[in-house]
This record gives sequence, C-alpha cells and structure tokens, in this order.
Amino acid sequence: MLSIKNLTASINGTPVLKGIDLELKAGEIHAIMGPNGSGKSTLGKVLVGHPAYEVTGGEVLYEGKNLFEMEPDARARAGIFMGFQHPIEVPGVSNASFLRLAYNKKAEAEGRDELDPLEFDDFIHEKIKLVAMKEEFLDRSLNEGFSGGEKKRNEILQMAVLEPKLAILDELDSGLDIDALRVLGDAVNKLQRPDRALLIITHFPRILETIQPQFVHVLSGGRILKSAGKELAIELEDRGYDWVLEEAAAGSQR
Amino acid sequence: MTTMVVGSNPLVDLLGGPRPAEWASLREAAELRLAGRELPTTRDEDWKYTDLKLLNGTAFGAAPRTTVDISGHLLPEMVGTRQVFVNGHHAPHVSCASAVPAGVRYFPMSHASEACHALGSIGNGAAKGLFEDLNTARFEDGAVILVPKNLKVALPLHLLFITKAETPVAVFPRLLVILERGAELELVEEHIGEGAYLSCPVVEVHVAEGAVLRHERVQRESVEAYHLGTLKAEVGKGGQYHSRTLSFGARLSRQQPWVRLAEGAEASLDGLALLDGAQVADTHSFLHHAEPHATSHQLHKCIVDGKARAIFNGQIRVAPGAQGTDAQQQSRNLLLSEAARVDTKPQLEIYADDVKCSHGAAVGQLDPEELFYLQSRGMNADDARNLLTYGFAADVLTHIPVASLRRSLRQLVMARTQASSLGDLG
Repeated sequence: MLSIKNLTASINGTPVLKGIDLELKAGEIHAIMGPNGSGKSTLGKVLVGHPAYEVTGGEVLYEGKNLFEMEPDARARAGIFMGFQHPIEVPGVSNASFLRLAYNKKAEAEGRDELDPLEFDDFIHEKIKLVAMKEEFLDRSLNEGFSGGEKKRNEILQMAVLEPKLAILDELDSGLDIDALRVLGDAVNKLQRPDRALLIITHFPRILETIQPQFVHVLSGGRILKSAGKELAIELEDRGYDWVLEEAAAGSQR
Repeated sequence: MTTMVVGSNPLVDLLGGPRPAEWASLREAAELRLAGRELPTTRDEDWKYTDLKLLNGTAFGAAPRTTVDISGHLLPEMVGTRQVFVNGHHAPHVSCASAVPAGVRYFPMSHASEACHALGSIGNGAAKGLFEDLNTARFEDGAVILVPKNLKVALPLHLLFITKAETPVAVFPRLLVILERGAELELVEEHIGEGAYLSCPVVEVHVAEGAVLRHERVQRESVEAYHLGTLKAEVGKGGQYHSRTLSFGARLSRQQPWVRLAEGAEASLDGLALLDGAQVADTHSFLHHAEPHATSHQLHKCIVDGKARAIFNGQIRVAPGAQGTDAQQQSRNLLLSEAARVDTKPQLEIYADDVKCSHGAAVGQLDPEELFYLQSRGMNADDARNLLTYGFAADVLTHIPVASLRRSLRQLVMARTQASSLGDLG
C-alpha cells in the first residue's frame, strides 16, 4: 500500500529525515518509535503533505502512485489520514458541520452519495458511540476549548467518519488518561480491517498494549535504526532507547 | 427660534429643518454646542483614518414619511415584539407589540414622552459628540423601552430602523432603554435601508443594579449610506450589559460605544465588521471602569476585502480606586486583499494598581496551520480558505441567543465569504 524509499526531508533547510525505507502492506499495523526529536512526527507530516517540510530526496508510492504529486487534500480523499498530536482549533465552524463537509468531500471523490444534515445526524450519532464522545461536542466549534484528550477523541472520530485506508496516528496517547486511551485504542482496533493499514507514531510503548503492531521500527536521527516484531516494543519499555542507539553506533563503526 | 450653524458646511443643511416641538431645552442645548462647529477632518486625531469629506457636496434633506415592505425582515421569535421606524417616523401599520408582557413600556417616544425623562442624561460624564448633538437637535421620533424592577422579559424585542431614500436624506434614529433593578431583557436593534442617506442614531442605555441587558446591534444599511452612530450605556452595581455590533452595510460607518461600569458590573462589547469594495468601518469604543471589581470583555473582528478599510480604537479607562478591575480586549483582523487596510489601536489608561487588563491586536492572513488541517481532511485549498474565513466571522455570531437571527446572519456571512457552496454550516 505504502512504499517509502530512501526518503529525505528538511525543515527550514535543516535535514530531519535522512533516508527512510519502509513498506506497509494492507492489513498491517506498524509502530514508529523513538526518542523525542528523532523525526517520527516529521515522517507522518511529510506523508500527508505538511507545507512546512520540504522533501529533498527519495520516493513514496501510495497504491502505486507518486505521493508527492498529490496535494494534501487529494491525499486525504485518496484515503490517507493523519491523527495529529496537536489538532488545530477552528472557531466559528461547528464540529458537526466540519465532519459532514469532510465526509461529503470524500464521498463525492469516491462517487458515493453525499449526506444531508439529517442523514448525517443519524450517521454521526453511531460514530460518536465508538469513541464515547458526548453529543455536545458536535455542536461546539471544531476543537475550540477542547481538552487535549477531547481533541484526540475528535481525531479518532474523524478517522471513524472518513474510514481511511492508511491511518497515521501521531502520539495518540499524549493528553489521554488510561481509560480514554483504552476507549480510543479499542476504537482504532475496530476500524482496522484487512484492506487498511495503520502507522502508529509513539514515544511511549504503552499504547501498543492496546493497538498491537506486527512491526516496530525505532527511528532516531532521521533514520530507522532497528526494525523487529512487537517484542521490540516490550524490550523498549524495559530498557529505553539508549541501547538501540548504542547498538546502531557500534554497527556503523564496524 | 432655531439657532443656525454659521458658515458654509454640511451641518448647516443638516440643521436646516425645523426643530421638533418636544424636548425643546435638550435640543436648544445641542444646537448651542453645534454652533460654529464644522465636520471633523482627518486632521482631528479622533477622525484620522475616517474621512468625512465624502459627505461634502451632498445635500441631505429631511426624510419624508413613507411605507415599506418588511416581510423580509421578520424574525419568528419576535413577531409580536416589534417596533418599526421608517425614515425616523414610527410606522404603526408594520409594528406589532402585542406579545410584549404587561408592565414593559415599549412605545414610540411620540406616544410616551413622559417615560423619556432620562433622555439625554445618560453618559453625562462624557462629552457629547457632534453626531450625537445633531441627533438630539433634530430627531423626530424614537423608541423607549422601560422594563420595571425584577421583570425578566422572556421574549426578545425587535427594533427596526428602516431608511428609504429616493433622494439623499438624513435620519436620526433614537432609542432609550431603561432596565430597572433586577430586570432582564434581550433586544435586537437593526438598521437597514435603500438609497443614499445619512443615519446618525443615538442609543441610550441605563442598566440599573443587578439588571441584565443583551443587545444585538445589526447594521445592514445600504452600501451608499453613511451611518454615524453613538451608544451610551451606564451599568449599575452588579448589572450586566452585553452587546454585539455587527456591521455589514454602509459606504462609511462609525460606531462610538461608550460604557460606564459601576462596582461589580459586567460588560461585553463585541463587534464584527465585514467589508468589501470601498467600504469604511470605524469603531471608536470607550469602556470606563469607574468603580472597583467590574469586568469587561471586548472582542472586535474585521474581515476586510477589496480596498475597504477598518479602523478600531479601543479605549479602556480604569479610574483611580477601581481596584479588582478585569478588562480584556482583543482586536483581530483578517485582510483578504492587497489593497485592504486595517488600523487598530488599543488605548489603555489605568489609574488603579490592582487590576487585570490585557489587550491584543492581530492583523493578517489565514493561518497556514489551520488551512493545512482542513486540507488534510480532504478540503481543497479554496474551500479551506472560505471555511476559515467564514469561521473567523461566525465565531462572533455563535452566542446570539435568537436562533433565527443567528441563522440569517450566518447565511449572510456565508454569502459574503464565498462559503455558501460548502452547504449548511449551521
């Protein structure tokens, strides 16, 4: 589904990604882990086309197509979704209107029927149950005055509404208490299907107890230093990141 | 006899008509203050960015009585609480106040002049403005609203000031609102019109101890009109005055709200101006924290397109001894074109030491992070821009309590921000 080859990217002229290779197949869950400042979030933002980052080399194919020839909105309509670490607040636009607009843009692109406000009302009331969101958050302005946890809940609600093929979730657990993390983790699991792929970006292994990846990659200094199965997450929980960095340094000296 | 203004300036024409019979002493005093004065120019600090030269050369005559069709302006929540003034005259055939609860006095001034004893006395601590005096000298009629002690009026009241000008006319809408102790009221004041005219409304508000007034002010004048408005509000101990001024119309408009807060009073003074073409909208506000522990909140937003121009001057004075004052002011402006312009200036004068005052002013374009967020959800760049522009304005409308008014203003904002194609954003 997603094929990343030797990807390099920079922000304000400073290289952040220094050659990333990664293959994601439908049905797979991958976790990108690493210390702060390693480039994890950058990888996610580059994939969804954040304008602050410049792709300086390499190639990314999404369903066989060159990802970088697609505008951010075209990527979204083609099924790529990123749940952001710090979702933006948009005053004056109700959450429900925004969700319906986003849903209809995607439906239009896929040749499905758009939903009018009444139909969408029924649709969204099923979806908010999945993330245990209170109804009042639909009428409020998009993310405005939401707590960190409520914003994350709203990101997963958007994921449930848009049903992406490839979902990238950046630090889903930050700002969440244990109960909310379990609810949202379960929701993400319910949304995962054999024709979809998930990329979980996280500093802490905790979230991977609920959303269990088949593949874990450690990213540091803009490179993937180690890739393994989910047992790597458990090892990182016990030992932290330093040993991976040391191992990689020793490897490069040999 | 009428004291005429000496010299060749537009004020002479404006005062040319006969002095109406009622409130003769108020009118004489106003005429005396006007004697010898001329229209302000951009050399006056207070009018530096708002050029009234446009008014020169137009002879604004007296506004004749006429009829209007108001069917497009009715709001379902307020069908029985409506007073309409057309060209400054009360229009009984299109007014209907049958649903107003007993005890509330809600009349044209011409019918209830005895209820108007407070006329001209509110805000006597402040200097009288030229356009305020002009109104006092020549207004024909106006509305008076008096809500007695502890009466909480459930239905909002609707006041429509309509101007219909076939040739240029000057109108002087007048409104006096008095809430006695513990009274509560919601009021919608709308100014609409057709043609080229000058409207100089004066609104006087007295909110007594513990009373609460929510005041929506909608300026949808004709794009050829000049709207030079004055508002004076005195808020008693623990009283609340919440106003929202929404400016969409007029070639040139100026709002001059003046609010005095007594101990523990609360005020919000929000504003939105949506400007295009060659429109000019100026707000010069004055919030006077005269006594301790009062709270004020001011959010003023402008969206400026074309070669339009917005001006905001927000003065806040915290008097000596007004400890525990909490005053917050935000001026936020969105420029949609190269030629659009905003001049914004906070002006804080603080003479007490235990206060919490904050102000901020921002002028700019849409935030790229916000644009990207919407694009990442599948909206193209144009849709994202239009939605954010809509949201920037609609933010000020969110808390309008009258649902039908909120809806119709949202639609107006959608049309003006090219967001209509995005469907229902309610």
